[in-house]
Order: sequence, then C-alpha cells, then structure tokens
Amino acid sequence: MIDIVPPAFIFILGAILLPVVRERRLRQVFQLLIPVIAFIDLLYMPEGTYWIYNFLGYDLILGRVDKLSMCFGYVFVIVAFLGMVYALHVREVGQHVAAFLYIGSTLGVTFAGDIFTLFVFWEIMAVSSVFLIWYQRDKPALDAGFRYIMVHIFGGCALLAGIIIHVSNTGSTHFGFIEYGGLASQLILLGFIINAAVPPFHAWLSDSYPEATVTGSIFLTAFTTKSAVYVLLRTFPGVELLVWLGAIMAVYGVVYAVLENDIRRLLAYHIISQVGYMVCGVGLGTEMSMNGTTAHAFCHILYKALLFMGVAAVIHVTGRRKLTELQGRNLYKKMPICLSLYMIGGFSISAVPLFNGFISKTMVVAAAGELHRPIIHLLLHLASIGTFLHTGLKLPYGTWFGRVPEGEKIEEGEIEAKEPPLNMLIAMGMAAFLCILIGVYPKILYSILPYPVHYHPYTLNHIVSMMQLLLLTAVAFWLYIDKLGGEPTISVDTDWFYRKPGVLILWLCTHPLQDLRFRLQGFVTKIVANVSSLSKNPILLPEIAIRYIHLRIINRLYHAFELYEDKLDELKELESRLVAVREMRYDENVYRRPIGFGVLVAVILLFLYGLIYFIKLR
Amino acid sequence: MGRRLKYILFISCGVSILIGLFFRPEHVHFWWEKIPVFDAIFGFLGCIVIVLGSKALGHRGIQKDEDYYD
Repeated sequence: MIDIVPPAFIFILGAILLPVVRERRLRQVFQLLIPVIAFIDLLYMPEGTYWIYNFLGYDLILGRVDKLSMCFGYVFVIVAFLGMVYALHVREVGQHVAAFLYIGSTLGVTFAGDIFTLFVFWEIMAVSSVFLIWYQRDKPALDAGFRYIMVHIFGGCALLAGIIIHVSNTGSTHFGFIEYGGLASQLILLGFIINAAVPPFHAWLSDSYPEATVTGSIFLTAFTTKSAVYVLLRTFPGVELLVWLGAIMAVYGVVYAVLENDIRRLLAYHIISQVGYMVCGVGLGTEMSMNGTTAHAFCHILYKALLFMGVAAVIHVTGRRKLTELQGRNLYKKMPICLSLYMIGGFSISAVPLFNGFISKTMVVAAAGELHRPIIHLLLHLASIGTFLHTGLKLPYGTWFGRVPEGEKIEEGEIEAKEPPLNMLIAMGMAAFLCILIGVYPKILYSILPYPVHYHPYTLNHIVSMMQLLLLTAVAFWLYIDKLGGEPTISVDTDWFYRKPGVLILWLCTHPLQDLRFRLQGFVTKIVANVSSLSKNPILLPEIAIRYIHLRIINRLYHAFELYEDKLDELKELESRLVAVREMRYDENVYRRPIGFGVLVAVILLFLYGLIYFIKLR
Repeated sequence: MGRRLKYILFISCGVSILIGLFFRPEHVHFWWEKIPVFDAIFGFLGCIVIVLGSKALGHRGIQKDEDYYD
C-alpha cells in the first residue's frame, strides 16, 4: 500500500514534469510511460478505502476502490495511452500538459471517496480540458471554449451549492447513494447531468468538441461525459427521471446527427446519443442495467476514441471538416487503412455482433426489456438504427466516397490526402483491436463489471434480430442515399439560448449598465471629494454649513426675482468667503482653549452622567 | 464495388430474415417480439422515419445558414 500512489497524482506529476523534459524523443517516451505506470499502479491497488487525509475536520478520501471505480479507472488509463500515442507527433508541450491534468483529475473523480475531493477534481477537469479546445487557436475554437467553460462553471456552481446544502443537512461528506428529492439532490443532479450532456444541457458538447484540436478531441470524447456517468451510477441509481432523459437523449442525438454537416459534430451528437443509453441504464437501476451502463461506458470510450481518431485524421491530412467539402472526392483510394479502422469503430458503435458495442448496448436494452418498459425499449431500439445509419453508413460514405449532389459544382482539383502519420494509425489500430477483442471475448469485460453478469449476448435470437435491424437500416439508407448528403448548414440547438440572447445581455452590459456605472462612479467620486475637502477642518463644518445655506438662499432669491441688481457683488463676495472658509486649514493654535475650558466640559458631562444615573436609580 | 456490395447486402438481408422466420424466440417481454421479422420491419421503417422526420424538422427551422451566429 505504501508503494502505490493515487493514479491521479501520477498524471498530475507527469503534467508538471513534462515541460522540463526538453529532448523530444525523451519526452515522447515520457508521455507513453506515464499511462503505463498508472496502469501498473491500478493493477496493484487493492479494494477498500484508503489515502484518507483530514482537512478542516473533514476526511478527504483519495482512494475508494471497488469494482465500479476500477472498471472506469482501467478504461480511462487505457484511452489515455491510446490518446497519447495518437498525439505523439504534436510538438506543443502545453497540449500534453493539459491532457495529463485532464486525465489525472478524471481519475481523481473516479477514485474520490468524499464529495469535496470529487468537487475539487471535477473543477480541475473543466479547467484543464478547455485548453484542449483553445489550443486550436482560431476564433471559433476560442469562442466555443469560452462557452464550454461558462457552462461548466455554471454546472460546478450548481454542484457546489448542492454539496453544501447536502453536507449541512446530513453532516456527511460521503460520496455515495443520495436519495433523490429535495433541493440538495436536485442541484447535485443538475451539476452531474450538465457534464453528462443530458438535454437540454447538452449543447456545450456538440458546440465545443468539434472545435478542439485534432488530438485533443480524442481526450475530450472519453472523460467528461463518462466520468459524469460514473458519478451518476454512484449517486442516483434508480431515479425514474433519468430513464426518460436517457431514452430521449439517445434519440435526440440521432435526430441532430441527420442534419449535421461537420463530421466531428456529427460524431459529437452520437456521443450524446450513446451517453443516453448509459443515463437510461443508471435510471433503470437494476444490477443488469448498471452492469450494462458500466460496460457500455467502457466500450463507448474505446470505439468513440477510434471514430474520432478516424475523422480527426481526415481533418489532419485534408484540412477539411465538412461533408459538403469531402463528398465525391473518393478519399478511400488515398486512405484505405484509416477508412478500415474507422469502420471497425462504426460497426462497434452500431452494435454489430463481434464488435464491442454489441455486448454492452444490448445489455442496457435488454435490461429495459426485463423491466417491461415498452416505450423505453422502442426508443433505444430506434436510436440504434440512427446510430448505424450515421456513424456506420452516412458519415463514412460522405467522407470517403460520396456523390456530389446534382446541380452542384465541386471546386476544381484533387484534395491533398494520404494516410495519416504512423503514430495515429497505430493508436487507431490498438483501439480497433480492443474493440474487436472485447466483442469476440466479452468475458474480459464482464469479469470486471461491478455485479455478477448473467447476460449472454451471443444467442441466436440476439444476433439475428440485431442483424435484421441493421441490414434493413442499410437497405433504407440505400433508398434515401441522395437525401442524406451533407447540407451546408448549421443546426440550432439549445445553445441558441445563450448565444443569441447572450448578445442582447452583452449589449445590456456594455450600454445601459456601463452608463449607470459611470454615473454612479461620478456621483460617488464627487461625494468622496467633498467629504475629503470638508474633513480638512471639521471644526469649521457648522460655519461652512451656515454660509452655504445662506449663499444658496440668496442665490435662489436672486435668480427667482431678479431683484437686487446691485447685490450681485455681495453674492460674489459671499461666494468667495465661503471658498475661503473651506480652504482654511486646521491650525491647532487657532482653536486652543484654556485648560479650564476642558475641565468645565468634563464637569458638565460628569454632572449630566450623575443626573441620568440618579434618575434611572429612582 | 457498389454492385457487389449491394448483392452482399441483399443476400445477408434474406438470410437473416429467413433465420428469423424459422427460429422464434421462446421467451419474449413484449407482444411485438412475437411478430415474425419484427426487427427487420422496425429497422426499415425506423430508418425512414428518422431520415424524413429529422429532415422535416431541420427544414422547418433547425437548420440555419452557416453564418447564423456571426
């Protein structure tokens, strides 16, 4: 126990040390070594609760290790390694530092045993991940990054408020099951579902992930939403609200994906859709659905990373990110390996048998079936169709093959394209390998799930019904292939509410509010100036006051009746005397009184005191 | 390539539907799972509904010009 350290610290230490390593090759080795060390660390972590530190009377627990947190811990470290391999060619150290901090804080959240530790890592996660967007260094990325961090700060505030109410109500900082109902739990849930991108709080995801750097987006897809799923599993299993939110979310993402033209944004909408299955599984709250959620999060992280790697590679080599720019260019001839690896991810997310999505997604759907939830069951089925339609068919067709819609001209010349750098392909290859390995041999994953698994994915019925669903989806795709080409549009989502009225609020701030500020500032400054000039000689205050009032009365009379033409000089005289009095400095010699005066005042006060005392005594 | 893929698709559709017709699941949760080849019908119709429904929504206000927010 002494030999192992919290895995979060390994990554955070790595983030601190990384910029110190100047030699590029050495740094690359270091980048890969950190996840490996963390993985070995995980293997040696025994189950239990440890690394407890007392802070201001509260126990901060950095190591709450059970099967659930281990399962998430494993996949986070695996995808950290894959992402680092994929980003190995990036020379900018800052990106890697941000990624390490992001991974480290996610692991901190995963193994946190109390809600304060959770909150601290939760916030580091938000702050470090935004740099993966900002490093893209163009205006859309900067703007999207700001919106991203604003939404997460809002979520963090809701979470903190909920935590404070919760702790003061119950007195416990334990991070575990929270009874849903009441303000504290609602605020905490709000904080969590904002990170899980549950509609209507999902728009930050589809807004910002496509703007991130090519390599940064891989990390983004894995950590924020899945750590939110993890905390939901811990705190709110069996909340009915989540069942419906999850099922609607699964279909919602699919609907928007139909309309999307940006290839990474299309995949981002599928993250929302897939996380819908997990949120729904949390809400169902049975052992099977919780297992399914955990398994699906595990598989989702792997295949989503693979899918994002595939399209990010296309963006990396062509510099284009829209279907309308890519379709009809026959890129498959130039990057067949990339396409093949992407398709493995596409089959995985679509839950094709022998790929990992099949063994996890069907588990959640089956859990809905076992609970006899017909509408949920059908909604999840519908989302499966949409998933295959877009990620498995429309996106690869539009990106690597595709037809130019009739009547539209494409720009002359070929698109420069080739296979992406070797490290990218290796990362994709490893992710693809894991997708297939888990799909073919699900026992590896099932053995680390939190509850015993009694589910058998490979029954004839499961396989046949899934194949029917997917194959007929493909047939329908073929029929509507011309309708599904990209359109050069963007889709209005719930981010409209802070992007369009947001401009209004900005105007409100820069115009009326700013004006008010100047007025207030001027007013207060005037008061301060007056008070400071008057306090030069406080003893003269009564005299100044009398002179001032006198002057004002004379002045008013003069202006009101225009009498006393000859008094004008007198008025000026009064004014100049007032100024002279105000200018008069305090001089102690002028106001010095004989010592007897002081004694007299003391005696009078003493007399008054005595008088009051005796009256009171009566 | 396109033609060959089409054949593979149609043949595998046929095979999966045939298997689905002959091997019925013994234990079902919902009444519609007893309908033969329900999943095939659901997949086909569901796909069309998603495509047409989303496009209809999109063209009725969700889709905007690319400079909408600028």
